[in-house]
Amino acid sequence: MSRITRRRFLKSTIVAAGVSAAGVRPSRPHAQTGKPYAGTRLKVSQVAHAYAVGLLDRLPAFEQQTGIKVEIDQMSFPVLNQREDLELASGSGAYDVMQMIFIRSGRWIGAGWAEPLNPFIDDARLTDKAALDVGDFVAGAMAPFKRGDTIYALPWLSDSTVVGYRTDLFEKAGYAKFPETFEALHEAAAKMHTRQTAAFVTEDNLHWIFPNWLLSYGGGFFANPPGDLTPTFDTPEALKAAEMFTTMLAKYSPPGGIKLDPSVAQAIMHQGKAACYLDGMGNTQHIIDTKKTTLADQMAFTHTPRGPKGHFPQLAVHGYFINKASKNKNAAWEFIKWAAGKDQMLWSALNKGHLACTRSSVLANAEVRQKFTWRGSDLASLHLAVMKRAGEGYMVYRTVPQFPPVGDRVIIAMTAIASGQTSVGDGMKSLQKDAEGILEKAGVKINRRG
Amino acid sequence: MPPTLLFSPTLQNYADLVESKFVRSLMNSTVTAVSTTILALLLGVPAGYAFSRARFRAQRVVSLWTLTTRMAPPIAFGIPFFLIYKDLGLIDTRIGLVIIYLTFNLSLVIWMMRAFFDGVPRSLEEAAYIDGAGIATAFVKIALPLAAPGLATTAIFTFLLSWNDFFYSLLLTRSEAITAPVAIVNFMNYESWEWGKVAAAATMIMLPVVALSVVVRKYIVRGLTAGAVKG
Repeated sequence: MSRITRRRFLKSTIVAAGVSAAGVRPSRPHAQTGKPYAGTRLKVSQVAHAYAVGLLDRLPAFEQQTGIKVEIDQMSFPVLNQREDLELASGSGAYDVMQMIFIRSGRWIGAGWAEPLNPFIDDARLTDKAALDVGDFVAGAMAPFKRGDTIYALPWLSDSTVVGYRTDLFEKAGYAKFPETFEALHEAAAKMHTRQTAAFVTEDNLHWIFPNWLLSYGGGFFANPPGDLTPTFDTPEALKAAEMFTTMLAKYSPPGGIKLDPSVAQAIMHQGKAACYLDGMGNTQHIIDTKKTTLADQMAFTHTPRGPKGHFPQLAVHGYFINKASKNKNAAWEFIKWAAGKDQMLWSALNKGHLACTRSSVLANAEVRQKFTWRGSDLASLHLAVMKRAGEGYMVYRTVPQFPPVGDRVIIAMTAIASGQTSVGDGMKSLQKDAEGILEKAGVKINRRG
Repeated sequence: MPPTLLFSPTLQNYADLVESKFVRSLMNSTVTAVSTTILALLLGVPAGYAFSRARFRAQRVVSLWTLTTRMAPPIAFGIPFFLIYKDLGLIDTRIGLVIIYLTFNLSLVIWMMRAFFDGVPRSLEEAAYIDGAGIATAFVKIALPLAAPGLATTAIFTFLLSWNDFFYSLLLTRSEAITAPVAIVNFMNYESWEWGKVAAAATMIMLPVVALSVVVRKYIVRGLTAGAVKG
C-alpha cells in the first residue's frame, strides 16, 4: 500500500473539494422562468455622470426584469482612471462591467483585458440583434472600440468639441456670426477682450483642447499613428499652433485661465465674464442653464474654428465593456445591452439632458432635436457632425497605448508656455524631447529628429 | 449672474450629504482612524518603553528597522500591497485599511513614545522597583501617567495620519470601505463639480479633527515642549 505523501494528500483534497463543489453547484432554476441570471450580482464602474444617474433611476425595472442585482460604483474621472487601470492590470474580476476610457482603450484592448463582444452580439440566444442595432451607433463613436470587425465596447458618451458664445458681444464687435477660422477668432479676441469680459475661456485639460489648433494647423502628436509614433511637436506647424493657442490662453482668457476646471469655466460664462467657451459638448451645453444664468438668451453654439489645414474638432468616447476577468460575462452583457440600448439613451437624452450620446436614432429623434435647439443652434446636429467628421480617422492618435503620458506632458508644456515660463520654441522643443523619451522608454521605435 | 456679497445661506448641501453614501464613508474614516489609533498605541507604547529602558544587543539596529516602513514614499508600496490584498481578500475592507495604517503608524508611535519615555526620570521607576513593583507596574503606574502629554500628542498624530490618508484608501477600497477623503473627490462629476457638496463634505471632515485638537490641545502643547528646557 502506497504511503500518503503531502503532495498526494493535497491533490486528493483539491479533487474532493472540486467534486463536492460541482455536486452542490446550483443548477439554473431560473432558466425556465425567463430569468437565467436571477440572483447574479454585477458590479459596474463608471464615471459620475448624469447618464449614470439615469441608469440608477431606471435600474429597479432592469433588476426586476432580469433578476440581476447591479451595483453601479460612480466615481470622479481621476479616481476612475486610476482604479480601473489598477483593477485591470491586476486581473481582478471585482468589476464585471467597466467604462472603456477613450484614451486608455488602446492599452486595455491591446493587453487583452476587454472581452470581445461579437460572440455575445452574434448569439441569437443572448441578443436580439435588431433591438440592439449596433449600426445605430455613429461610426466615429464606435471606431475607438473596434479592432477590425471585433467590437470591444459599446459607446454611451461621446464628447465633441464645440463653441458656446455670446451673440450680443460678438455682434457688438462687428461679427454677425462666430469667426470661422482661428486667425479670425484671434482678431476678434484682440478687439473684444477687456478686463471685465475675457474673449475666450476653456477648461484645463489642455491635451484635449490644444489639438483643435494643432491638427487644424497641420501638426499632430505623432508622425503617422498608430504605425509611426515619432512625436512631431517641433514642426513649424506645431509651433504655430502652440503660439496661437497659448496666446488665446495668456492674452484673451480670464485671470487664471490656464487652470480652470469645466465647472468654473461654465460659471465664468454664466456670469458674463467671457465671450466664448470652447469645450466638449457635455460641458458646453450647460452654459444655457437658466437656473444659473440670466444670459442664456444671449448665447448660441457653433462649430470650432478651422485652421489653414481644415477643421479638426475633437471627440472623446466612453463605452461599456466586459472585464475579461469577470465571472458573470453573460449577465454583464445583459446589463450592457440595456445600459447602451436605444431606449435608455433616448430616455436619458430627454430626461437627463444627455446630449453627448452615441446613437444616430437618438440624435435624429424629433423630440431630442427640439429639446436641444437653442436660439437657432441645433446642438444635436452639431454633435452628430463632429462625430461623423471624427469618424474619418484623425482621432486615432488619442487611442494609441502611449497617449496618456504624452498627453500629460503636453499639458505641462502648454501651461509653461502660456504662463510665460518658457518660449514657444523652447517649450515645444522640450516637449518633443520628453515625448521621445517617454515613447522610447515604452519600447516604441521612433525616428529621432535632429 | 454675478456673485453677491449678501446671499442666503443654505444647509441644503449638508442635507444632501446626510442622505448620500458620504455618511458611510465618514463612518469608514472614523472606524479605521480610531481602530488604528487604539491598536497603534496598544502595540507601540510598550515597544517605545522597551526601546527607552531596555538594553539589548542590536537595539540600535532593531529600532532603526522599525522605521523602514517610513523610509520610502507610500506609492512604492502601493502595487505590492494591492496584489497581496487582492489575494487575501482584503481589498475594500475596513480591516484591510486598519492593517495598512497600522503598518505605517506603528513606527511613528514607537519613536515618539520612546522620546517621551526618555524624558521620564528612571529613578522614579527604580524607586518603585525597590518598593516591590514589577516592570509592568512601573510602566503602567509610573512611566505612562508621566508620559500622558506625549501619549495624547502621539494619539492625535496617529489619528490625523489615518483620518487624512488619501492614497491607500484610493488604492485599496472600492465602494464598501471608501473613506471620506476619497469620497469627497467623487463629487467631481464628469460634466461639472459639485462645489457645494465638496465644501460641506470638507467641513464635515475637518470638524472631528478640530474638536479633537481643542479637547487635547493642552496636552499637545505640553507634549511638544516636554524636555525642551531641562530643569
